[in-house]
Amino acid sequence: MADDKDVLRDVWYGRIPACFTLHQDQVTEREAEPYYLLLPRVSYLTLVTDKVKKHFLKVMRAEDVEEMWLEYEGTPLKWHYPIGVLFDLHASSSILPWNITVHFKDFPERDLLHCSSNSVIEAHFMSGIKEADALKHKSQVVNDMQKKDHKQLWMGLQNDKFDQFWAMNRKLMEYSTEDGGFRYIPFRIYQTTGERPFIQKLFRPLSADGAVHTLGDLLREMYPAAVTHEGAEKRLQVVIHGIEPLLETPLQWLSEHLSHPDNFLHICIIPVPSD
Amino acid sequence: MKMISGLDEDSFVACCRLVLQKSEELRDGWRWEQGSEGYLRKTVLHSVSIQEAENSEREIAHKECQSSEAVLLDDEDDDNVAGANCPADPPLWVHSEFHVLFSSSYRTPVMFFRSNTLEGRALSLDAMWSFIKPKLKSSSEEDLLSTVTQQEHPLLGQTFFMLHPCKTNTFMRPVLQAAQRENR
Repeated sequence: MADDKDVLRDVWYGRIPACFTLHQDQVTEREAEPYYLLLPRVSYLTLVTDKVKKHFLKVMRAEDVEEMWLEYEGTPLKWHYPIGVLFDLHASSSILPWNITVHFKDFPERDLLHCSSNSVIEAHFMSGIKEADALKHKSQVVNDMQKKDHKQLWMGLQNDKFDQFWAMNRKLMEYSTEDGGFRYIPFRIYQTTGERPFIQKLFRPLSADGAVHTLGDLLREMYPAAVTHEGAEKRLQVVIHGIEPLLETPLQWLSEHLSHPDNFLHICIIPVPSD
Repeated sequence: MKMISGLDEDSFVACCRLVLQKSEELRDGWRWEQGSEGYLRKTVLHSVSIQEAENSEREIAHKECQSSEAVLLDDEDDDNVAGANCPADPPLWVHSEFHVLFSSSYRTPVMFFRSNTLEGRALSLDAMWSFIKPKLKSSSEEDLLSTVTQQEHPLLGQTFFMLHPCKTNTFMRPVLQAAQRENR
């Protein structure tokens, strides 16, 4: 049986092969070749696509270039979601590589956040960590950390340094034995239908009488349609990091081992593939 | 980070009801948007002086002034007449939306807002600051600038600006205390 720590490494090093193609409406001085890249599931698009930008800028005139944005089959990709979440939500039933279209004009202001520099990504990432700790520890652990500790979390993610990141992140995963777990579990449940981008509410890892809450318990409370009843046909998949964990898995364990670097459990509810 | 202790979702909803009552009396335009999680909403159509705005916003104001003039003039009239009546620095008409949601993570209200020109173009944060700044003399500018960021609206999934929850406390505490006093 795999060690729990192995799970942490497997999650960190998850990759998705992607192929970037310039949108046909973009004016170029010569033909633009597609660009291939392995994307880390746990990172953010704007943090890892500098090479993509440089590649396409070579064939474009400066006056045709505005902020780069990415799209998959007409859907603008929200850079502030972890890459793995975007893939599981929009493209998991398609053949690899993930075909992403690159744009340099007509930025969709209503749908996408601007990302003028890496500090914007850092600020977004850190605010996720802080919010997660507000839920887990009433912000006590993150507030007790020094500025350099926060920086270490960010640098670990930015530079793909598992050990550097976890040396600090393990503090955010601790809890006292009498508590038995975190105060509330930081999670977001994403769906592909409807206006609401995600569901995020308060949910404890243990019930009032000390029973361990499972993934199934969370879904029954927050998204009952995802829990198939006996005899019924399964219509929805519950996906975390590209896999379907058993619904009996304790939520506390999932939070400690399958969270993203921002300390949130990002859960995708997608239709069962029809093929 | 200090939080208003004891604010849960029910208290938030109760405070919102008070705000709505006051808003009704003052004809201030706040409404309740119902959903599984409800929130306060107010939309405002207003013109802003854009002397301090970026050039891009000035261009928008000029174009919109000219296009609205063109609509009013006859079709046969020549193009160079349109825009002749536009002032040098026309006011920019802006449609602004303000939402007050409840953050269960921070147990505090959070404000989201956005502004668009009448042609649907989103205003940048810089442009908005140029006409908000003159009104905020007491708070330190740097302090405020670091607490307003672009965010995804958690219920609508669209781009808004958000006043950071930490600062909601600073801004909202006097308001809520007054509301709670009235409630007794």
